[in-house]
Order: sequence, then structure tokens, then C-alpha cells
Amino acid sequence: MNQIETAAVRTEGVWKIFQQEAEEVTAVRDVSLTIDRGEFTALAGPSGSGKTTLLNTIGGLTRVTRGNVWVAGQNVTDMSNQALAQLRLTEVGFIFQAYNLLPVLSAMENAEFPMLLQGVDAADRRARVRELFERTGMSGLEDRRPGKLSGGQQQRVAVVRAVASRPALVLADEPTANLDSASSEALLEMMAELNRDLGVTFVFATHDEHVMERSKRLVRMVDGRIDSDELRT
Amino acid sequence: MHIRVIIRLALRNLRRQLRRTVLTVSSMIVGGGLLIFSYAIGDGSHESWIDAGVRTGSGHVTVEGPEFRLTKRIEDRLPMNVRGEVEQLLASPEMASQVVAVSARLTISGLASSPAGARPVQIMGVQPIDEASFSSFDEQLVEGRYLEDGDDLAAYVGVGLMDSLDLRLGSRLVVQAQDAEQEIAAQLLRVVGVFRSGVPQVDQSVIQIPLHIGSEWLGVGGDVTNVGVVVTDSDTVAGVAARLDSELADFVSRGDAYVMDWRESTPALASAVAVDEFGNHLVWGVLFIIIAFGIMNTMLMSTLHRYREFGVLQALGLTPGRTGAIVLAEGLTLTAVSGFLGVGLGLWLTWYFFGDGLDMSGMIPEDMEFSGVIIDPVIVPLFRVARLAQVFVFILTIGALASVYPAVRAARIDMAEAMKFER
Repeated sequence: MNQIETAAVRTEGVWKIFQQEAEEVTAVRDVSLTIDRGEFTALAGPSGSGKTTLLNTIGGLTRVTRGNVWVAGQNVTDMSNQALAQLRLTEVGFIFQAYNLLPVLSAMENAEFPMLLQGVDAADRRARVRELFERTGMSGLEDRRPGKLSGGQQQRVAVVRAVASRPALVLADEPTANLDSASSEALLEMMAELNRDLGVTFVFATHDEHVMERSKRLVRMVDGRIDSDELRT
Repeated sequence: MHIRVIIRLALRNLRRQLRRTVLTVSSMIVGGGLLIFSYAIGDGSHESWIDAGVRTGSGHVTVEGPEFRLTKRIEDRLPMNVRGEVEQLLASPEMASQVVAVSARLTISGLASSPAGARPVQIMGVQPIDEASFSSFDEQLVEGRYLEDGDDLAAYVGVGLMDSLDLRLGSRLVVQAQDAEQEIAAQLLRVVGVFRSGVPQVDQSVIQIPLHIGSEWLGVGGDVTNVGVVVTDSDTVAGVAARLDSELADFVSRGDAYVMDWRESTPALASAVAVDEFGNHLVWGVLFIIIAFGIMNTMLMSTLHRYREFGVLQALGLTPGRTGAIVLAEGLTLTAVSGFLGVGLGLWLTWYFFGDGLDMSGMIPEDMEFSGVIIDPVIVPLFRVARLAQVFVFILTIGALASVYPAVRAARIDMAEAMKFER
């Protein structure tokens, strides 16, 4: 098997240029990167460094201007919207800075939503979510709507939602930015556990020092380029 | 599975914005209810016009000589054998249930004269009992009595003609017309009754006489000029006309008979009904376009408000099409619920006014005439299942169309931009 097939993510010469009125803004410049399955990687850098844009191109939320992106062995560059949606459904989990739970669904329903779309059997869905809620200290809060949960609790539900459907990759964009330090620490511990115990691949876009410290690999970005890429112990 | 997810999300979103949902649904319910009631009133008044028009004229369906409608000449009359066949057919068990009244008439143009002068008239030879159930001339009696079966030389005269010829009850008058031999024949008559229809041209020109007097006077034997049929309601007209046309095919092909419905025999009335119906459709069409913009505004606001949510849904793997389907499902749910309740409201209003009718006498003057028909100021709404279905489908269509644009907006969002969207 080649590197493309074995890697969780591979990007090759990726550029992303936005057109803002008459001006072109280059958010990502010639980024080539391979992230293997089971990694716990942080993309770090100041605001405007291109880390969120890179994360979005990997997740198929935005299309690259040039270059290629493979996720779980599939080239997403020229995929149809339909195929991209299917890829996101089966291979990618997302965690957002603002939690982004669906307000009309309970914590349980939010967490099982991707599996509901996948057509996973109800009993199986519930069992998987209950197990993860147990693990993340969310038991007893299954029926609460997002509005009745704290920020930390909402982000835990978002993490469970991202990992419950067993994707190849979880992309987390500033997951701790809206949390206090205790909640942030607890959340990081939880994700590290899921990475360690279940082998879930995490890629973070962050400028939170705690996240960087916890990551096993730190990729620093400046002006849309990879500035450094270091493995940490 | 996805359909259930889409419907569940749509319903919960509607419940989430309860006030907005209730306001939109309320406007649709009131609009739908009034639309049904308005159509019931419109259909009821049209039915009333048609009924009055065909009873004064030649019925919902008439069988006559093919040329008679244009020439009005006695030689274009309906032969006795065709008349007999028509009357037999209408009395048959298959058709009798749809037939309310049948009247064989001998209608000709002539001249009526008295010592005070002469006036052109329309003379109708009728069988009094049949005619009394066919037309409303007997109910328009103002003096004397209506014709009776044993009457000889009796005339039932319009009030306008009475004035013109300076006639009194019991006065004698002479009518002249061309007979079957194409000779001018005269007949002496005596006024036994006076009617007022409210339509000036009818009151100034119509004289009814017993059919047997007319037949003898004009020498036509058992021939008549037409056999008019009044049916249970205007919806059954086409069926009765088609049946008669088919049963009389031999006579029709030989040129001895022609079957026509009221739209053909009284085109002015048909046009009046069509124009009024078009006006109703136009007014309601415009009103519902306004309501449609209201729904579109509601759905669009709701879509823009949830811009980030739609981004999240697509990020989680919902396709753009299914994201749009959620908005469409919300719009259709809104309109389906509104449609059902609107139909309910419309039915209730129709039922409420069904017994005594809607009394418009404050707005419609007495004896108001329109296209040769006296307008009854009390309008009884007419319930038609087809109208309910039409209105329901119309409301659903409006709702669906109004939701298409917001659904397309939801489907085409830029996910990365949506994630930045602040509510």
C-alpha cells in the first residue's frame, strides 16, 4: 500500500486563494503534508496563518484552488458535492470552536446525528453514544437541549458526535477557545484518551498553548505556509 | 431514514419558532378559509343566476330544431315525433333522477294589439302545470291568476305590456303571427293574469298562452319549438345533454333536432358567469401571491437565521439537496397544516350560511338585473368537493413555490462561510 492509501490525510501542493472584491488573498500556499492514522496533530499559528482554511480544505468544507487532498485514501479535490457529503459523513468528524450543536435536538440526538444519517441501527447508535457519554462524564444529560448545557458540556457532546460514528479523522477548529482553563484541560484529556484508547486521528487548528503541549505533532503555519513540523514526545 | 430525519428537523424547527409559525399559519388559515367561503358564495350566486336564467330561458338543456335558435321561424320547429321521443327519454328511470322539470314550448314572435295600439311580442304556448315547475313566471304573479290546464283563450301577460297596450285584467287582445302555412293568423285572447319578472324586456314582451290554443291557432299539431329541461344542478348539465345527444343521434344526423346546453342557448349568461369567475380567480390569485410573499419572507428569515446550522448539517454529511429539503419540508408542513385548517374554516363558514344564505340586500338593490337575470340578494353558498380539493392543492402549491427560493438558498450555502456566521 502506498502512503496515500495508508495516511489519514495527505495534501500535495495545496493552494487556497480567495477572491475578495478585486483583490486576491492567498490563505494557503503550497502546503504538502501527510498525517498518519492515529496521530494527534496540532496546526498552530497566529490568526490569518491559514490553519483553519487548511482544515476546511481537508474536511471538504471548501475546495482547493490548486493541488490535491486525500482523506482516507480518497482524492477529494474533484469530488462532487454529493460524494464530498458522503465522505464527510463516513470518514470525517468535526469539532468547532462554537460547538455548533443543533439547538432543536437533545444531547443524545445531537451525538447520534451522523450515525442517524448513516443509517446505523437505533440500538447500536444509542449504545455507542451512551458508552461515550459515560466515558466523557455526560451521563444523565442525554435529554438536555444544548441551551441547557454549559459550554464545556456542549463541547463534550460535540466531541462525542465527532467520534461516535468512528470516522477516519476528526478535525477540530479551536475546540478550546470558548472554554475556561479547567473545561479546556478536561476536554483535551478526553480527546487524548479517545486517541489513545480508540485510535481516533485528531487534527487541531489552534493557538492554544495547552493544545500544542498535548499534541504529539506540531505543525506551525505562517502566512499560509508550513513553517515547521515537529514530532513531540 | 433521511426523510424521517428531514421531517423531524423540520417539525422541531417550526415548533422552535412557535410565534412566527403560528402567525404564518394563521394568515394562511384565514386566507384559505375565506377563499373557500368566497368560492362557495361565488358558486352559489352563479348557480342562482344560472337557475333563474335557464328557467326564464329555455332550460339547462334544450332540444329544438337545428335552425330555430337563429331564425326563430315556425317552420324550423321540432316535429311531434322528436318531441315525443325526448319526453319519453327524460321520463325514463335512468334520466328522471337528474331531471327537475320539462316544458314543451311553442315560442314565436308576433304582434299584440289592443284598442290602445300594437306591440311586438314573444308568445309562448305552454302546458301550465309543466311550465309552473319549469319557470318562475307563475310565482311572479301580481294580479289575477296563472294559466290553468282547462283554460281557453287565456293570456298571462307581462306588466310592461299591460301598460303599453292599456290592458286590464279581463281585457281582450289580439295576437298575430305567421302560422305553419306561412299565412298571418290572428288569435283573440283574454288576460287572466299579470306578472312582473323585474326584467323590463321580459315584462314588456312576453305573453304566455295554453299550448293547445297556440297549436290550433298556428296549425302545428303536436309540434313545438323546443323542449326545455331543468336539471338538478349545473354540474349535471353536460351529462344530460350528452345522453340526449347520443339517444337522439338519428334525429340529430337527419337535421330534425339539435341538443344544446344553457351555455350555448344563453351565451350572454354564460359569459357573465365566466367573467365573474375570472374576476374571483384574479382577486384571489393576487391575494395569495401576497400571502406567498409572506410565507417566503418567513421561510427566508428562518433560513438566514439558521445559516450556521445549515452549514453544520452539511459539514456533518447532509447533502445540499437534503439541506434544502428541510426548508421545503418546513414550508410544506406549514402550508399543509394551514390548508387543512383553512379548509375546515371555509367549511364551517359555508355551513353557517348554508341554511338562510348570506343576505346582501343592504348592498344589492331589489330587482337588480344582470344579463337578463334578476339577482337574488340572498346568496346561498354552494358546497363543492372539487373546490375544496382545488383550494387545498392551490394552497400547497403556493406554499411549495414560496419555499423553493429559501430552500435553494439553504442548499447553496458556503459551509466555511456559514461557520463564521454570527447569529
